[in-house]
Amino acid sequence: MKIKLHPTDQQLVLFAQGLIAPAQSLIISAHVDMCAACQKRVAGLEAALTEQLLNEQSALPDMQMQNMLTEILASPVAVALPAETQYLELDGRQFALPRSLQRYAGKISGWSHMVGKLWQARVDLGIDGRADFIYMEKGGTVPEHTHRGSELTLVLDGEFSDGVGHYDTGDFIRCDSHHTHTPKTEAEEGCLVFSVLDKPLHFTSGLARLLNPFSHLFFK
Amino acid sequence: MLVGIELNNQQPQVDISNEMVRCLQRVASRRCQASFSKLFHHFAPRLRSYALKQMGNDALAMELVQETLTNVWQKAHLFDTEKGAPSTWIFTIARNIRFDMLRKQQHRKEDICADDLWPVLCEQTADAAQPELDHQVTLEQVGQLFEALPDKQKQVIEAIYIQGKSQQEVAEALGIPLGTVKSRTRLALQRLKEMLSDED
Repeated sequence: MKIKLHPTDQQLVLFAQGLIAPAQSLIISAHVDMCAACQKRVAGLEAALTEQLLNEQSALPDMQMQNMLTEILASPVAVALPAETQYLELDGRQFALPRSLQRYAGKISGWSHMVGKLWQARVDLGIDGRADFIYMEKGGTVPEHTHRGSELTLVLDGEFSDGVGHYDTGDFIRCDSHHTHTPKTEAEEGCLVFSVLDKPLHFTSGLARLLNPFSHLFFK
Repeated sequence: MLVGIELNNQQPQVDISNEMVRCLQRVASRRCQASFSKLFHHFAPRLRSYALKQMGNDALAMELVQETLTNVWQKAHLFDTEKGAPSTWIFTIARNIRFDMLRKQQHRKEDICADDLWPVLCEQTADAAQPELDHQVTLEQVGQLFEALPDKQKQVIEAIYIQGKSQQEVAEALGIPLGTVKSRTRLALQRLKEMLSDED
């Protein structure tokens, strides 16, 4: 099985330059960790950007050059230890996370049980929007909704469908106000996703519409 | 011939790149100051040009140049020729430092740092055998590939990955040197990886 859904070229070019907002960069980075194809794409873009951005020279005054070189050579050699692997835990299950998200496994404010068979753990990134790990148990459904801003979703484990498509582990999904969908999973092992939202969701059908006034509490 | 022309044009660049690779390796292996000085003189003016455009202020630009080259000096061992050219590696360090400098400068409250986004300066995890997540394989497939391994490799992989033993324990149990366990593990994982990519 191969990952089918990837960030666009445009997104990756900006990502490789460090020009995308941090939370959006984080979820793209997590996808790249999981996707060999995008690792190659990013490496290629970085090489091309190097040609473009490190091409020109701007000479430093000799004095400054010499001082800087001396200071650097006198600097101590840093010894960094590799980080320990962190797992995300829910209900006795452990999920391995992509490298870029590891540091955040310990930064969730606990799992909360939402409607149906959904669990959500908010990750405090200090961003304006919001970032969550969301776990859908088998048969779990998020009520039909659309988006006021954009929603980026990365499937970390398992698979789900939303009436528009079927998404598997590693898939990178972008939704905005043009998309209305009802995510649900029938996978035995359920489905864990990481989601980054810049604006609250807008629920569009049935009783769930009653959630809208409160959607900032739930899903924001 | 077009190919010939391209090769000729790129030759000086390739030479410089090879020279820079050797310098980085000498810095990494024996902290060679002369090699670092070469890297420094080649890259400092290029980094300064990039930094001036990015930071728009000479003091910050110089900070970015110095910080980038300090990392090259301290972490040359993290450069991996298989991942790309020295210039690309150094560019990605500068990009990371720029990201963190702007974050501080703008007093952004978010916690996301460049090391999370781009693992340029991360020490490799101790367990380099960590399977890549890019390839989702069924247990069945893994089982088949596992069966295809040579017996000696299979034995080691089974003890480590199925029974959860440490490499030291495996060495003791099989009465072979630890180095042999490590090399068998590495060869087996390499082989599995090759078999997996063949299936694409």
